[in-house]
Amino acid sequence: MAKLSTIPEQTRQQLEQIGTVDLVIGLVDEKASANIVAIAGIIRQGLERLSKSTRTVIMHRNSDSAAAALSQGELEDDSLRLLSYSLPAPDPSLTVMQSTFNAYRTVGEISQDLSSRACVVLASSPASLTPEWIYGLAQPILERDYDLVTPCYLPHKFEGLLNNAILCPLIRALYGKQIQNPLGPDLGFSARLSQDILHPDPARVRGASTYQPLLIGTEAIVRGHRVCQAHLGMRIYPPIDWKNLDSILAAVLDPLFLGVERDAPFWQHIRSSEGVATYGAPFPFAEESVTVDVRRLLELFKLGVRNLQDIWGLVLPPAALLELRKVDRLSPEQFRIPDELWVRIVYDFALAYRLRTIGRDHLLRALTPLYLGWVASYAVEVEPINGAAVQRRLERLDAAYETGKPYLVSRWRWPDRFNP
Amino acid sequence: MWNQVQQALNESTSRVIKQVANLLPGIAALIVALLISGFLAWIIALGLRRSLRKIHFDERLSTWGLQSLAEWSPANTPTILVTRAVSWVIMLVGCLIGISAFDATLTSQFVERLFSYLPNVFAALILLFLGNIAARFLSRSVLIGGVNMNLQYSRLLSVGVKWMVLVLTWAMVLDHLAIGGRIVYLAFAILFGGIVFALCLAVGLGSKDLISRSLEREASRSTEEVENPFRHL
Repeated sequence: MAKLSTIPEQTRQQLEQIGTVDLVIGLVDEKASANIVAIAGIIRQGLERLSKSTRTVIMHRNSDSAAAALSQGELEDDSLRLLSYSLPAPDPSLTVMQSTFNAYRTVGEISQDLSSRACVVLASSPASLTPEWIYGLAQPILERDYDLVTPCYLPHKFEGLLNNAILCPLIRALYGKQIQNPLGPDLGFSARLSQDILHPDPARVRGASTYQPLLIGTEAIVRGHRVCQAHLGMRIYPPIDWKNLDSILAAVLDPLFLGVERDAPFWQHIRSSEGVATYGAPFPFAEESVTVDVRRLLELFKLGVRNLQDIWGLVLPPAALLELRKVDRLSPEQFRIPDELWVRIVYDFALAYRLRTIGRDHLLRALTPLYLGWVASYAVEVEPINGAAVQRRLERLDAAYETGKPYLVSRWRWPDRFNP
Repeated sequence: MWNQVQQALNESTSRVIKQVANLLPGIAALIVALLISGFLAWIIALGLRRSLRKIHFDERLSTWGLQSLAEWSPANTPTILVTRAVSWVIMLVGCLIGISAFDATLTSQFVERLFSYLPNVFAALILLFLGNIAARFLSRSVLIGGVNMNLQYSRLLSVGVKWMVLVLTWAMVLDHLAIGGRIVYLAFAILFGGIVFALCLAVGLGSKDLISRSLEREASRSTEEVENPFRHL
C-alpha cells in the first residue's frame, strides 16, 4: 500500500526535538484542539495511574502553530508533549471507515518515527473522555504486553445496533474471539501491530485499493497478536444521518466482508469462540425506560419485501425468501425475525459478496431493509426489558451465529451445490 | 431460307449451351463451397457448444444481467443461439465464396459492401451489450436507492430509467446501422421528448399532491427519527 501521508517539515523538526517517547495519543475529533489543555489534563490524570511515568505525545489537529506553542507552554510538563499535526481531514469522497483507518495509520506512522511502544487513537467525542479511557487503553499495552486493546462502552440497548446485529457476533463466530467492539473506534495498539497495519502482507491485500481499510481487530486476531478489552464507560455517539444509512451500512460491511473473504483459510478451522481478557470495572446495561416507534422501520422492511424480491432472490435461498414473506405478514406487535433466519441472511450476503453475485455496492445496500427489519424486531422484543435480560438476548444472537457457522462453511466450500 | 433458320438455331443453341457450360464450374464450385462450409460449421458449432457448456455460459449470462437474451427465444438457450449464429455466419461466408465463382466483379462488389458494413454491425452489437448492462445497472441502483429512501414508487422509477436507457440504446444502434434514417431519429426524439414531457406534467400537475404529501411525511419523519433512540454505530 502507498504511504498515505507525508509529514510536513515543521512537524518533522518537532519530532526530532521530541526524540523518543513511550506513548502516542491521537485525537481524531477536530473539536479536541479547541480544548486541548483541558484534555491534556485528563490524559495526565489517566497516565498518572500507570506504574511508571511515561513520555507521551498528544497529536491533535491544529494548524495554528502559535496557538499550539501557547498550549504547550500552559502544560508546563516535559513528559507530556503536544504535537499539532494535520491528521487526515475528513474527505467527503472517503467513507467513515476509510477516514478512521487513515487516522490509525497516521498515528502509527508518527509512533514509528518516535519509536513509541504504544499508540492510542481516540475517535469519539472529546466530551466522552475520562482518565479511565486513557488508563484503560494504554495500560494493557505498556504494562501487560498486549498488542490491541478494544473498548467496552457503557451498554445501552438501542446503541451500537449494527455492532450488535452483525459485527460483534460475526467476528465472534468466525474468528473465535468474543470482542464487544471489534471496530473500536477508540483503540490502543502496540508498535508490533502498528507495523502490521503500516506494512500489511501483500498477499492479504492483493486486489485491494489504496484506501481499502483493514479491520484492525480481525487483522490482530489473524496475525496471532494478543487482544484484550477495557471497560471505558459512556460514549457520546455522533448524530446519525438517517438519509444515508445504506451508505453507512455499505461502508462498514464492505471491509468486513472483504476481510471474511480474505481470511477464509483462517476462520474455517475455528470451531468455537473464547473470551478475551477484560480490564476495568464492568458497566451493566443502563436501566432506561424508552419508548420506540418502529413504524418507519417496518415500512422500509415491507417496502423492501415488495420491491427487492428479485435482487434478494439472487442472494438468498427460496426458504429464506418464504420466511421473510411470512414475517412481513406479522402485525407490528408480533413482528419477529428469528435469530436463525437473520444469521443465515448475513451469511448468505457474505457469500454473495465473495461470489460477486451482483455488484458489491448494490448487494450491501440491498441489505438495508433487512437490517432495519431486524432492528424493528429487536426493538419490539427488548423495549419492555432491561439490564441482564437484554444482555441475555444478545448472547442468544451470538450463540445463533456460532451454531449457524457450519451453514456458512458448507456454502462457502460448495457454492454451486447450495445455489438458490 | 430454311437453311438460314437452321443455321441461326444451331448458333443460338450452341451459344446457350456454351453459356450453361461456362456456368457449370461455378455451380460446382458453389455446391462444393456450401458442402465444405456446412461441414466446417457443424464441426465448429459442436466444439463451441461443448466449450460454452463447460464454462456454464448460460448461468454466467444471467449473472451478467442478460437474462433477456434467453427471453427472446425461450425454447433455445443462449448457448444454442450463439452456436447457431456462428454456424450461419460460416455458411454465409461459404455461400459468398461460392457465388464469387460466377462473376468475380459482381460478387466482389457485393462482398466489399458487406464487409465494409460489418464493423458497423460489431459496433452496434457492442452498443447493445453495453446499453443493456447500463440499463440494468442504473435501474437496480434506482430501485435499491429508492427503497432505502422509502419511496413507494421506486419500482416505477426503476422501470422508467431502464426503458429510457434501452430506448436511447436502440436509437443509437439503429442510427449506427443506418436503418430507418430520419424516421428513427424523429421517432426517438418524439418518444423521448414525450416521456420527459409526461414526467414533467405528472410531477408538476398530476402528482403535485402526492409529492407534497410525501415531502410532508418525510419532514415529519425527520422529527420522529431524531426522537428515536436508535444508534447504529
